Amino acid sequence: MKLFGSKQTTEPKSQAELLYELQQRKERIFRTNVGASWVFLLLFLYVVFSGDSLGLDAISLDSKFIADNFAFIGKGLGVTIYISLLSIALAIVLALFAALGRLSRFPPFYALSTFYVSLMRGTPLYLQIFFFFLALPQLGIVMPPIMAGVLALGMNYGAYMSETFRAGIGSVGKGQREAAIALGMTSGQVMRRIVMPQALRFAIPPMGNDFIAMTKDSAMVAATGFVHELMWRATRQGRATFHNLEALIMAAVFYWGMTLLLTAIQSRIEARLGKGDR
Amino acid sequence: MGTPIIKVTNLSKYFGRLHVLKGINLEVQPREVVCVIGRSGSGKSTMLRCINFLEEPSEGEIEIHGLKIPAGGKGREHYKLIHEARLLTGMVFQEFNLFPHMSILENVMEAPVIVKGMDHAKAKEIAEMNLARVGMLFKKDEYPNRISGGQKQRVAIARALAMQPEVMLFDEPTSALDPELIGEVLEVMKGLAKEGTTMLVVTHEMGFAREVADRMVVMNEGELIEEGEPSEVLAHPKHKQTQALLDRYRTAD
Repeated sequence: MKLFGSKQTTEPKSQAELLYELQQRKERIFRTNVGASWVFLLLFLYVVFSGDSLGLDAISLDSKFIADNFAFIGKGLGVTIYISLLSIALAIVLALFAALGRLSRFPPFYALSTFYVSLMRGTPLYLQIFFFFLALPQLGIVMPPIMAGVLALGMNYGAYMSETFRAGIGSVGKGQREAAIALGMTSGQVMRRIVMPQALRFAIPPMGNDFIAMTKDSAMVAATGFVHELMWRATRQGRATFHNLEALIMAAVFYWGMTLLLTAIQSRIEARLGKGDR
Repeated sequence: MGTPIIKVTNLSKYFGRLHVLKGINLEVQPREVVCVIGRSGSGKSTMLRCINFLEEPSEGEIEIHGLKIPAGGKGREHYKLIHEARLLTGMVFQEFNLFPHMSILENVMEAPVIVKGMDHAKAKEIAEMNLARVGMLFKKDEYPNRISGGQKQRVAIARALAMQPEVMLFDEPTSALDPELIGEVLEVMKGLAKEGTTMLVVTHEMGFAREVADRMVVMNEGELIEEGEPSEVLAHPKHKQTQALLDRYRTAD
């Protein structure tokens, strides 16, 4: 032990090791400074909006309103997440079929896929949401509000996501298919065992982005007035007592927090999917 | 001579208006090693790919181990024959084409489990045996992107062997490798030849062909122009295109 220890201290570090350590230190210092700046920016925001409690000449938020409505508005977060999860599930299924349709050589399937994608991408999401809530009832089709919202969001995001899936499937080289075929796999087996797992790995990062974007676009559903999610609750409470500033800031904090959490989860998943790469 | 493992009769292939193979006739006998040489674009890879129907032949007939498949077939029966023929052939590609999302061991186990429906334990045993055969068992838990090109190709050979094919098809197995990695792959192939594996090898490795092949076939512009014992073909090429090809290899060396 002693011998080992003394050997370590006597042997000088190589040039490469020293350079590596220098780089590491620079990187650490950079990250620490970025973190400190974030904290400063957050504190600044806090001070700007907390004239009431700190007694400074700044924008003062009504802390009583915030305390009174925290639970009511916070409840909307659950609804927002619920809608987003259902919508993303629907979007994934639709995107998968649309992507397969786009790769199909069977004309009706191909046409259906391109038609759907074109229609959904060619009209505003806001319009689609109102279509499900207001236009369909005129035809006698009335569904539960959450379902209408999920259908609109899911169908819209499914169209965008199908492009992601298609790119993912396209990213799997021809050689992969050929190797699998030469081993005797059927086209279904090639798709399931070889192409899809690789396509999904390629598609998961952009899918994560879509999901995060969707949680925020779900706020548009509030405009219909029937789904009591975050945005609806915030605007309702804000308008009723003319505390829009407080209510919207509260909703913003909830959305932002949720996005930060989802982003963290996403990078975790990406890191885990990285196995086999590099 | 018994029944050949591979019998190609009057094989033609068109890509659009391009006539790539012009009536090829070729037989490979059991335990025979046949090397196919020819300049790039001569159709040697296309011929190999027609044998396991990665390319659909335009005319002629492919016979694998008694299984006759005429060109231009359609329908369920035809595809069933192709599927059976593929089970009798193992293919090794220039670009290895290992499955990057599976470990080395999983790469080799995949087809026996999925295609043959073999139980897991048995497939693992066969996979490990074949990985040992190519000297890659020590990397079985690694992923393909963590090993060298030569090692990848050895795993690809093990993956094809694990299906216990009647014949191994090699499509320029060393052409994508750095020069210093070619040797280990050729060593493995020599070992297979010694064990009596039937092999059809498209290659530019003249040394390997001379040492290992029982027969050498020369292709030029979609035709077989010469065929014979490797030492004979290399020393006394009859066709002037063969002569030109060999001259090019010599100047390249």
